[in-house]
Amino acid sequence: MSKIVKLFKNNKKDKPPKAEIITEQKEPEPIPTTKCGKPLVLDNTRWEKRLQKELMSLIKEPPPGVSVDEDSVTRNLSQWKINITGFEGTLYEGENFQLLFKFNHKYPFDSPEVTFIGNNIPVHPHVYSNGHICLSILTEDWSPALSVQSVCLSIASMLSSCREKKRPPDNTLYVNTCNKNPKKTKWWYHDDSV
Amino acid sequence: MENEQNDNVNRDELIMQQQRDIEREISDTIPLVSEKLPVNCLNAEYIGDAVFTSKIEDLSAKYSHLRRTRPDGNCFFRAFAYAYLEHLISNKEDYDKFRQLGENSKDKLVQLGFPSFTLEDFHETFMEVVKRVDPSTSNPDILSEQLHKIFNDQGYSDYVVVYLRLLTSGKLQEEADFYQNFIEGNFTIEEFRHQEVEPMYKESDHIHIIALCSALGVGVRVEYMDRGEGGTVKAHDFPEGQTPKVFLIYRPGHYDILYPK
Repeated sequence: MSKIVKLFKNNKKDKPPKAEIITEQKEPEPIPTTKCGKPLVLDNTRWEKRLQKELMSLIKEPPPGVSVDEDSVTRNLSQWKINITGFEGTLYEGENFQLLFKFNHKYPFDSPEVTFIGNNIPVHPHVYSNGHICLSILTEDWSPALSVQSVCLSIASMLSSCREKKRPPDNTLYVNTCNKNPKKTKWWYHDDSV
Repeated sequence: MENEQNDNVNRDELIMQQQRDIEREISDTIPLVSEKLPVNCLNAEYIGDAVFTSKIEDLSAKYSHLRRTRPDGNCFFRAFAYAYLEHLISNKEDYDKFRQLGENSKDKLVQLGFPSFTLEDFHETFMEVVKRVDPSTSNPDILSEQLHKIFNDQGYSDYVVVYLRLLTSGKLQEEADFYQNFIEGNFTIEEFRHQEVEPMYKESDHIHIIALCSALGVGVRVEYMDRGEGGTVKAHDFPEGQTPKVFLIYRPGHYDILYPK
């Protein structure tokens, strides 16, 4: 059990985040194939089926403050724009934000790539000014049982619990040097100063 | 000064990341579940190593074969599922019980608060796999071959792993008061489930094994083989006292399937 304990002790989430860039790697092939070179047809159809299902549910029963930009999805099922409104009684009350979700063919085994886009990037200690978000379920703690909806809810709750509008302490450095894809960042969910 | 220190930390982290990438690449070339191999094939990994050689000899006295699983962090779940389904192929009574339990498990997880929305895909595929080894549909050889094929198809294999992770997580939640005792520090069962159980590729510890075994009512014997003294492997049954149906070998960080003589 000692491994677990150590892991948890290093994993204090409410400290300010610190981001670090991982060297650029080869982009994954667009169509996944098995070792023998046979395309994983099953995965492709499941991937689409799952996204369609999530989309229907999000359109029919959107969580409060969340709406899908249906035009964006019609154009491309692997990129969704989602509008999110700051809740009443929070620092972001009445503000409108837009999230971009990108999915690859390994979804839901790979997490979606999620960033804030547009003119209004929330000023928040876990959101960089380029729209990258430091949220563990988007990398380390992603599980295939999570969904677009649960990610939206986590982001909404992250915004709601904010007590002071400010950027992460390493914002300038990170924004100037990071990869376009936030999943290529090694996120530190703990405080490095200890 | 502080910046310099940070740079050093970053470089270390980069090296570690590269190391992980290399490990992932190696592991991806190993099949998800291998063919049956004689137990003494392990000797090749420990040539000239007296401790392990003597332990492999001890292991060979009790077990004839093993099956390797891909070291991708999911090995306990994959090995468990494969070994138990293989047992069910020739045990109609256990099979029927397990299939019923599997059918009912989804509603139970939904009651525990898992979103039926994402759960149902995994449950459906899990049950499809269970149905494909139904002993009343074919002879054991054909079913075993089928099982092996299914478990080496990532599209099925990983869905089964996810579902077992969810069942494990469900059990931890259901008996949170009990399992909380196994977790030290100020961490809740909730955090543990979301960070160490539900995500893919996170390695399993005793707590995962105990929770899954109790959720499914299946006994597992794990033979521990490490650098420890004594020259013999050490068996541990989960839950204690239950007749094991699944046999696994644990070497630090990894589980493979064993076949008793």
